[in-house]
Amino acid sequence: MTVELLPDLVLCVLLLVVAWSALFASTRRDAMALFVAFGMIVALVWARLGAPDLALAEAAIGAGLTGVLLLRAARKLPVSSARRFDYRRHLGALTFIVVAVSGFAVSIILPSPADITANNFDSPVAAAMPDSGVSHPVTAVLLNFRAWDTFLELLVLLFAITGLRQLFPIEKESLEPARTWQLLVSWTRTLVPLLLLVGAYLLWRGSSGPGGAFQAGALLAAGCVMLRITGMLPPLHWSLFAVRGSVCAGTLLFLCTAVLTHSLGAGWLDYPEAHAGTLILMIETLATLSIAIILTLLVAGERKDLCS
Amino acid sequence: MNDALLSLVTPLVAALIVLTGPAMTPRRASVVVLLGSALSFVAALLALQSVTTSGATQTLNLGGWEDGLAIRLRLSPLSALLLAFTALIHLLAGLYARFSRFTSGDDFWVLSAFLHTALAALWLSADLFNLYITLELIGLAAVAMVALSGPKAYQAAADYLLLSLAASMIYLLGVVFLYSEYHTLDVIQLGTVSADSARTRLALALITAGLMLKGALWPLHLWLPAAHAGAPAAVSALLSAVVVKGPLFILWLAWTEVAPADLAREVGPMVATAGMIALVAGGWAAMRSPYIKVLVAYSTVAQLGYALMALGLLMSWQIPQMHIALWLFVIAHGLAKASLFMAAGEMQGTLGTRRLTGLRGATQTVPIAMFAFAVAGGSLIGLPPSGGFLAKWVLLEPILSQPQNWPWAFGILLGTLVSAAYIFRVVVLAFDRATINPPDTRPYLMGHWLALLPALIVWGMALLGEQLIGLLAGGGV
Repeated sequence: MTVELLPDLVLCVLLLVVAWSALFASTRRDAMALFVAFGMIVALVWARLGAPDLALAEAAIGAGLTGVLLLRAARKLPVSSARRFDYRRHLGALTFIVVAVSGFAVSIILPSPADITANNFDSPVAAAMPDSGVSHPVTAVLLNFRAWDTFLELLVLLFAITGLRQLFPIEKESLEPARTWQLLVSWTRTLVPLLLLVGAYLLWRGSSGPGGAFQAGALLAAGCVMLRITGMLPPLHWSLFAVRGSVCAGTLLFLCTAVLTHSLGAGWLDYPEAHAGTLILMIETLATLSIAIILTLLVAGERKDLCS
Repeated sequence: MNDALLSLVTPLVAALIVLTGPAMTPRRASVVVLLGSALSFVAALLALQSVTTSGATQTLNLGGWEDGLAIRLRLSPLSALLLAFTALIHLLAGLYARFSRFTSGDDFWVLSAFLHTALAALWLSADLFNLYITLELIGLAAVAMVALSGPKAYQAAADYLLLSLAASMIYLLGVVFLYSEYHTLDVIQLGTVSADSARTRLALALITAGLMLKGALWPLHLWLPAAHAGAPAAVSALLSAVVVKGPLFILWLAWTEVAPADLAREVGPMVATAGMIALVAGGWAAMRSPYIKVLVAYSTVAQLGYALMALGLLMSWQIPQMHIALWLFVIAHGLAKASLFMAAGEMQGTLGTRRLTGLRGATQTVPIAMFAFAVAGGSLIGLPPSGGFLAKWVLLEPILSQPQNWPWAFGILLGTLVSAAYIFRVVVLAFDRATINPPDTRPYLMGHWLALLPALIVWGMALLGEQLIGLLAGGGV
């Protein structure tokens, strides 16, 4: 029994309560607001578990951008009447909950072969850290030891935006920005420069501490989305080379690095040790650009952005 | 390994050129992507040659880090064969999409090149988490391609997306359990350390459930008919021929390499039974379907039953011959199904109907497409000397040699009968020249001939039978 247990317990209870109320909120708008709150609490939980990278990503993407996405989607849905609670529709979810909870319980009860908290995860990473070119283990894993995974993750975003482009031909008229609310405009003017600064800092910070391309990209995207919905940023037309180029930039540089290290250097994605840090920073910078633009398009993209 | 990486990179480069290139009309995009597929095919053949002449599986630790830290890529005769197969299917579907009159949508090109990249990355990967990402990539590309059909396919695409995401999560949860037990994600390392424990069982159960949902293996196949039947013909061909085989590959890896042999022996009969039920239930649904493409889609569910059965028997008997049967089925089914979907697309476009009854007199009105349908169907039934026959023969041989295994042979026989029934149902209608359904437009023959091409290749597989069996005989990995 320690003093820290109290805030942890409060977080746990809060998480469950907010999750429950998000699921069973009476109106869609309440549910979405609670979902955003849920994302913030999850971010706090991650921070408390000692995973600041995840906390940042969750706060930026899980709570922020997903919230905007939900609100935008809700504008296109018909206003729903009061929801009827139909048990049959929730049978699948119920089964899933039972299976997941029992699986979790089983996995806790089962004797663990080795102490999970022991350092045997970190040891190979810790041993290889000096050769990785960066000093933050998470960045080293993401951009060096398992760079191939990160490359494929960038492709996931690229696939997603190409897929989203298929959904727009039917939309007859695009939604004009809602009547611009003066408060939103002035807040945007204040926040966007700050977001830009914090995003750039996170990107730079990624080599030595929590941060990196995904978090920085998400923050920049948040700024772009705000500019876009207040109408201060013109549509990002897909036909513009600059848009398509920045969407592909991260993938292209990553691919070039892989091919060049393979044909000239030691092997596929085997960075020369002296330049590993520089290469990682370059890849992260372009990846940030790609992530920011893709997330902006995914969240705020309309027909005139994506299909022109 | 160089050639395999080249085979992986060329479609991606093609896709990036199409995305960023100036003034990229669909026509130019098609040329770029087709060139990419052709190059990838050649590179895959070179990789196949190098891995068979050296006789050993090649592995590559990405980034040059040691085992356990790096992601490992592995080029085995099987993965080289699958690389070549994927490139070939993409080439055939691309050629069809380019020259057929029925368009597949402007973004078909970039999406199919993306799909090709993701599949190539999957065949080469030997890391459970990396495999998860490739699964996600394949799912996203496939969903986007279903949506190419326009608003009428959105419902099917959305269902496919949600189920595919749920399946990925279940798979990922299983991988997490394995990682918490063994502290490694590498398939080869896991194979040496895995033991029969409750947590391993839970992990493998979750992985199996996720993959069966992703791969539309019975009884988790219900999303497949709507998605595959709703997509444009060239896309359906890709989805049925290669996309559902990705999860099957990971399932095979999980049970033949990761799982301890005793556990696999225990679970094998259940998997094989699921396969047998899939054969009959899928075939029955195909037989009763009123729509052409839904029939073909249900036939995919049924045919995956053979593969599932081969996997189950491989697990319970641990004999390498089942490896051969499994992968011969995958390849023969892929080629035949590509042909069936293209032929079905051509026929329903030309005859102006989605209903089976619209095929009355098709032997007279669209003879070449109907011929392609019948020829490809022959391989599905397993008529000699097609690729389907080859696979079925390899599967039946060890079953028939032991009298106690005859119940399985009965299942295969029943499956064959049902598949013969649904193929002949179409063929009989097509020969009904008394009440012909006249075509809406004059048939545009190029598409019909291109639909016939994969069917001819699958019948030609018998000529390469000995080489294929020899290639897969090494146990596959």
